[in-house]
Amino acid sequence: MIPLLILSPLILLAALGAVWKARPVHAALLLALSLALVAVLYLTIGAEFIGLVQFMVYIGGVAILIVFALLITRPGDEAAELDRRPRSLGVGLACVLPVLGLLLFAFSKGLPASSAVEANPALPVQALGRELFENSVPAVLTVGVLLTAVLIGAALFARETGDKPEPPASR
Amino acid sequence: MRLPALIGLLTGVLTSSGWAAGTRPLMLTGESLPLLPQHLVEFVLETVGAPAWLVTLGSLAAAAGTVVGVFLSAFALLSLIERKTLARIQNRIGPNRAGIFGILQPVADGIKMLTKEDIVPIKAEGFLHLLAPILIVLPSILALGVIPYGREWNPVPLELGLVFFFATGTMTEVAVFIAGWASGSKFPMLGAMRAISQMVSYELPLIISALSVVMLSGTLSLTGIVANQAGYHLGFIPAWNILTPWGFVAGMVFAIAANAESNRCPFDLPEGESEIVAGHMTEYSGFKYALFFMGEYLGLFAISGLGITLFLGGWQAPLPGLDFVPSWIWFFGKLAVVIFVFLWVRGTFPRVRIDQLMRFAWLCLIPIALLTLPVAALWKFSGEGALGWLLCSAVLAVPFIIITVIFNRRMAPAIRTYHYAE
Repeated sequence: MIPLLILSPLILLAALGAVWKARPVHAALLLALSLALVAVLYLTIGAEFIGLVQFMVYIGGVAILIVFALLITRPGDEAAELDRRPRSLGVGLACVLPVLGLLLFAFSKGLPASSAVEANPALPVQALGRELFENSVPAVLTVGVLLTAVLIGAALFARETGDKPEPPASR
Repeated sequence: MRLPALIGLLTGVLTSSGWAAGTRPLMLTGESLPLLPQHLVEFVLETVGAPAWLVTLGSLAAAAGTVVGVFLSAFALLSLIERKTLARIQNRIGPNRAGIFGILQPVADGIKMLTKEDIVPIKAEGFLHLLAPILIVLPSILALGVIPYGREWNPVPLELGLVFFFATGTMTEVAVFIAGWASGSKFPMLGAMRAISQMVSYELPLIISALSVVMLSGTLSLTGIVANQAGYHLGFIPAWNILTPWGFVAGMVFAIAANAESNRCPFDLPEGESEIVAGHMTEYSGFKYALFFMGEYLGLFAISGLGITLFLGGWQAPLPGLDFVPSWIWFFGKLAVVIFVFLWVRGTFPRVRIDQLMRFAWLCLIPIALLTLPVAALWKFSGEGALGWLLCSAVLAVPFIIITVIFNRRMAPAIRTYHYAE
């Protein structure tokens, strides 16, 4: 309980900073920080595998990807970023409200009984792998196919714009 | 109450025979020698009457301190040995002014680094500029904690040791980016982008080649992987992973990728002194600059240690009758050999170009690394004997030859024209 009380304000602060910072690189770094703190939260509640994988995927993959995308595609005008804020506020609200509604709906149903189990379930990683690759094989395969399609699509996009002198500044 | 405890401690240390620390008797053997600081701290804290959490904390701090102390000394030593070895390869003398054989050179370097002016460029982001060197050193030290150094010397025996190792490694990329971006200058930024793209590209073959070991060991725990390589074939050939067809190929891929991950020649493009000054380290001076090198060398130790754990049997002795030597001595012996090979490679191969570097990772290393996964499965199901050797070698050799022929054909002619150099 104590780690949660310490970590959750920090996660919130980092996430708010990611939204409010004017410079995109600062926002990206703060986003990485908040994702890393979520990983620490997972580690403190005994979910070691998901915590480490969160760290690996979100810090090593997603954060680096965001940073690369920022540096390669942005036109370099940071003052324009501030003018665009009201419009992005609307987009942000449109993204956040459904999630918030879903969370409120879930909480209004009452917490499931499984949250009352002991704090440290200590699930061995073999059991986790068995669950993933024996019982949930269709879901895993679907995600794999989806990601492969995304990868091929991304490669095609990159190929199309590869010969042009100026890459389009669309983000 | 404290005096008898102190006397007990002294006699315990002096006789070196062992003493009772609380309920736990401690025998001082060669095997448990690296655990001595940890046990000493526990013993002192328990006899003083400290609460249990303090004893645990002190014990953990002592265990971490041992690892950090050992590897920082090794870092100082290696910085000298590297210069001496390179000098020998290049037919020079190398450092020979500070002490006999230049033995005090690391001390002189340290004093020089500490007394240098710490310059922060006016366009740099102060806090991030300071954070980057710390974030470079941190993951290397964290990664050193999970490696089993000996039968008993195993600082943090995590069940997910391998995942932890790679998860800490990803922090380096963010740190390099912060270093490049926070310096507020073009050269560090360019260097950081090159460094990150290199690290991301070479992390794939690194992890995939480690995966084949995980597949056949059935565990992510580094202790378990070492235990799995115990025993000897035919009475004298150690059952290490490198001595199997898939393990040999995966081990080679791992070694090359590890060389690139730790930014060492022939893959030391991120620094690229001749092209982009010093890469992401351009705007750093004084001890911050030294921290970058410390991070690099600690990372080299960590990744060599992981390679030894995965492929070279960890702390297992190379021959059956040699178990009387403490296991951590075998580990550090292997570490010395592996590091020497890295030095040798550095002294032998010329630096590659950035496009060669990328093509090598994506067209050569990753396909071969992916190939080791099915071959490892084939090895498992073909009985791990002579038949397995035959089948696996055949399956490995054909695509290997095809890939390298294609690779050579693409690489050999001058496909890149230098627009600005002509």
